[in-house]
Amino acid sequence: MNSTKWIWRIVSIISVLATLLLLAGFVYAIKDIQNPQAGNELAAPSAKPQENTEDKSPDAKKEIKIAAIGDSLAKGTGDNSGMGFARRTVKELSTDTGKKVTLLNNLGINGLTTTGLLPKLEERGTQYVLGQADIILVSIGGNDLFQGADLASKGISGTSSTATGQEMDPKDLLKGLPKASTQLKAILERIHAINPDAWIVYVGLYNPFGDIEDLKIPGNHAVASWNQAALDSINKYSNMTLVPTFDLFQHNLDKYLSSDHFHPNGDGYQQIAERIVQGIR
Amino acid sequence: MTSVLPLIKNETIKIIKKKRFYVILLILLVLVPIFTYAQMRSAERTREKFNGDWRLEIQQQITDNENSLGSDRVPDEWKKFRKIFVQQLQYYLDHDVNPNEPNGVTFTREFMSNSITLFIPLLIMAIASDIVSGERTTGTIKMLLTRPVKRWKVLLSKLVTLFMFTSLIVVAAFVITYVVSGAVFGYKGFNLPVFTGFQITGSDVDLAAVHGVPQWKYLLMQGGLIWFVSLTVASLAFMVSVLVRSTAASIVVMMAALIAGSILTNMASAWTSAKYLFMVNLELTDYLSGTPAPIEGMNLSFSLAVLSIWAIAAMIISFLVFTKRDILN
Repeated sequence: MNSTKWIWRIVSIISVLATLLLLAGFVYAIKDIQNPQAGNELAAPSAKPQENTEDKSPDAKKEIKIAAIGDSLAKGTGDNSGMGFARRTVKELSTDTGKKVTLLNNLGINGLTTTGLLPKLEERGTQYVLGQADIILVSIGGNDLFQGADLASKGISGTSSTATGQEMDPKDLLKGLPKASTQLKAILERIHAINPDAWIVYVGLYNPFGDIEDLKIPGNHAVASWNQAALDSINKYSNMTLVPTFDLFQHNLDKYLSSDHFHPNGDGYQQIAERIVQGIR
Repeated sequence: MTSVLPLIKNETIKIIKKKRFYVILLILLVLVPIFTYAQMRSAERTREKFNGDWRLEIQQQITDNENSLGSDRVPDEWKKFRKIFVQQLQYYLDHDVNPNEPNGVTFTREFMSNSITLFIPLLIMAIASDIVSGERTTGTIKMLLTRPVKRWKVLLSKLVTLFMFTSLIVVAAFVITYVVSGAVFGYKGFNLPVFTGFQITGSDVDLAAVHGVPQWKYLLMQGGLIWFVSLTVASLAFMVSVLVRSTAASIVVMMAALIAGSILTNMASAWTSAKYLFMVNLELTDYLSGTPAPIEGMNLSFSLAVLSIWAIAAMIISFLVFTKRDILN
């Protein structure tokens, strides 16, 4: 009989307290959601990103950190294994140097143009990743140049290549070039400003339409002018490299392009990765 | 009221002595360690991938989500969700706050907001579904009603007891989750900031009202919202328990409703009048964290109104039926 008395007392007291607590929380939650007060009432106590104090010269480092940024090529679209040139470079470089090589982040986004990349460089997360990297792989510009091509790769991939050809006017290829190459220059400068110590590798463009009669010559011409413009900016810095891919793909489109006829396949990415490693070794 | 209090006392002792409440505690004590272990393993794995640097992890999460935005195969509603998600992650990154800081408090927060639609209601039902129909299954209802007490008082005492235990269950769930997960992830983290106040309009997030709240305050608010949802579920389960003779049937009815709700929530948006169903409105904590509501036009006051109406209607029906009906078996 006594035990039931105690059960009742304990249960009733605790449940009343619990109810009051939860009711307070409920009222508070409604107030907070309905009339949210802006203004940070607390400073983030989380640790600041630790500055890298260690020696920056790549030879002395035990570990090499790589970041990739840019368009679908950086992401590795078309590679069935999902590795892209970023992971393949990591693999090649680690067998080549014997050091530990890690891929910090792959920030490649499908369909990104120079216009889309510029604001990304102002984001804190992007800056953090780039700031940590020893080697930054950049691939951008393909979508600026081949505007309609991104559409082709997404929508009507697998259809005959003439369909792709009809969509694109060869004359349009050169139209966006001046603006895009100024933006490319701005991008490279910005990345250099974010991390002046990192080795920046720009992956040059190739002409994915080299086997289409109408697009072969204007395409080659546009890609060549683009690469030349990129080279003009890159040559000003001591720690920037342009890795050419034009010659790799020029007569090997069947071998190195994936089924969407725009992005490289696994073998194509492997070739690019080997070139990158040769360039930064 | 003088004669209701002893009845409540009686009901409380019945629930404790029938060990219903212990079963609930036992379920929590068995399940929470399992989830904690799973969480620990997945945290270990991502730590390996990103060298323990959460900023890299968040940035990769942002990039992956942005990539899926370009794909035509992703439904538009998902794109909206992901766009909002990306903006929130970006906000955390910009303010240098780790949204998934591994500690017991964060785990509790995540776990509770995930269990608001099914797990907590299930625990509530362990008591609520049995509280009236249990008496009928065993036949003890006749004993109760032959006493010189008005029927509505008998039912009221049961309802009050049920609400008392609802509060207890919610608090117990918090405490047990915190104690168990804290043993693995550490007991700190009450003062870490969580951001709340994301105003969602379409697929854009208005950041003007976003403010940081220490996690203990966030947990308190979360507890309050979960409590309100639990009361609603308790009232509905109570009604079903009055209407249906067997406890098993009454659990099945409620479970079916809840599961239907979680499926409807996932299918979302196409059928807009689904927003008047109670089970679609259970995720009140989403308004706190800034996850967009499953159906256009839902907001906190709307959901609270829908839940209250359902709960009040359930109580009215329970009392009407219970006071009028003949007890035959």
